[in-house]
Amino acid sequence: MLIDTNVNLGPWPFAPLPELNASQLTARLAAAGIRRALVSSLSAVFQTDPMPANAALFAAVRRTPALLPVPVINPALANWREQLERCRAAAPIRAIKLYPNYHNYRLTARRLDDFMTAIAQAGLKLIVNVRLEDERHRYFALKIKGVPVADIARFLRSFPEHHLLLTGIYRHELKQLAADHKNFSADISFCEWVQTVKDLLTAMPARRLMLGTNTPLHSTRAQSDKLRLAQIPARAKALIGTENARRFFKL
Amino acid sequence: MHIIDVHTHPVFFKQGRKPADIRQLIADGRRLGIVHMIVLGDVLLYGAQPNAAQLRLLNDENARLAREHPDYFTAFVYLNPLLGERATMSEAERCAAQPGFRGIKLEIANNAAHPCMRHVAKAALAFNLVVLQHSWSTTNIKDRKHQSDPVDTALFARRHPEVKIIMAHLTGVGFRGVLEVKDLPNVHVDTSGGYPEEGLIEYAVEHLGADRVLYGSDLPIRENSVTIGRILGADLPAATKQKLLYGNSARLLNLKLN
Repeated sequence: MLIDTNVNLGPWPFAPLPELNASQLTARLAAAGIRRALVSSLSAVFQTDPMPANAALFAAVRRTPALLPVPVINPALANWREQLERCRAAAPIRAIKLYPNYHNYRLTARRLDDFMTAIAQAGLKLIVNVRLEDERHRYFALKIKGVPVADIARFLRSFPEHHLLLTGIYRHELKQLAADHKNFSADISFCEWVQTVKDLLTAMPARRLMLGTNTPLHSTRAQSDKLRLAQIPARAKALIGTENARRFFKL
Repeated sequence: MHIIDVHTHPVFFKQGRKPADIRQLIADGRRLGIVHMIVLGDVLLYGAQPNAAQLRLLNDENARLAREHPDYFTAFVYLNPLLGERATMSEAERCAAQPGFRGIKLEIANNAAHPCMRHVAKAALAFNLVVLQHSWSTTNIKDRKHQSDPVDTALFARRHPEVKIIMAHLTGVGFRGVLEVKDLPNVHVDTSGGYPEEGLIEYAVEHLGADRVLYGSDLPIRENSVTIGRILGADLPAATKQKLLYGNSARLLNLKLN
């Protein structure tokens, strides 16, 4: 049973992707061997206040236990504490997700000090999405770049007691960060090279890698095959595909 | 399942040259159903514009792979069109005279709309070679001197309708690229390049037809399991997937594989 740590629900305005409902999304994931997934709302990415999109996400997956909602919080807004509390009240969440580059703040912002304290007190895990798409192919008028590696590094240094999950990080960025930081895990959705996972294991232990497909922006089958067909020990495959996410998110 | 990978670089920045590396590459490929690979060469080893001597070295390596593993590798001759007509014709002729060469590979020496491309067209026709042109949208990559936007590759194809062309990198040229070559029957598109973005394979088949899309990986920059999985996971009939993965390349390159 695979657990996917990087799945999206909702419309994507820049490509003719099928807009899947919760049961269709579950079926697509299951066809690739994925039985549980952490899901966030794509609408939350493009709206300043992510709460309406979070509410829609909670409603959409309420009867689909395979999909675990991960609300998006925008800590650049004055009411971030209210966002957090409303999400916690709405559903038994395990983590929250940040999109610094889409919500126009930096991971180095001082306001994140209080935010990280609140996250820890709430017993929540933090996912930081580095990118949703290859910057070379984005819509011509969209100038959003990936979260800078230097900002992530400073964030990791600033909060050594926190262990976060980075989704959408490039292979070279992962290797750069892994050389100096141990307080993060990463999904493999934006890492690719011949023998990708085997290659990543030269830079980072299996216990810190997790399956992430970036469905539906990326092909679920292609991304799951990256791990399923990887020539790595079965134990490492189990950690990356299932056990790390289960442990990290207490599933 | 039988697969032909039309876009590979088994040797990349000199990595992968050893016989053991090649044997491992073939074993890994066969494990995934890849029965044949098109070798395009170590095309960036000497920068964007290799000279004639450097091209010979790179093409000799392609020839070696095709000679030592004729059942598994077919080679393309790598050219720098800016070197002029004489250099283009002589290197194409030298390689085409050897067994295992079926095409010409063009990278980023020049834009595909450059006048020097007429020499490439001449060589392709003279030696019966297919032209694989590196292509990528320049919407966000501001380097039109070296990068060929799908507009440029389409212009090359329009100027030389008798030349068979593979526009490389479906993900790189994107939806716009598919539409640029839609009405150019001499252009095929390979599926290599970039992450496995959803929907593009289906879009290409919808607009180009099932016969003009070829499976390619861009190995080692990309992984075969991912690039194949992208096609296997596409919302397409099984027969269409088999065309993309095998039949179209076999037909275009006239490959007689056992």
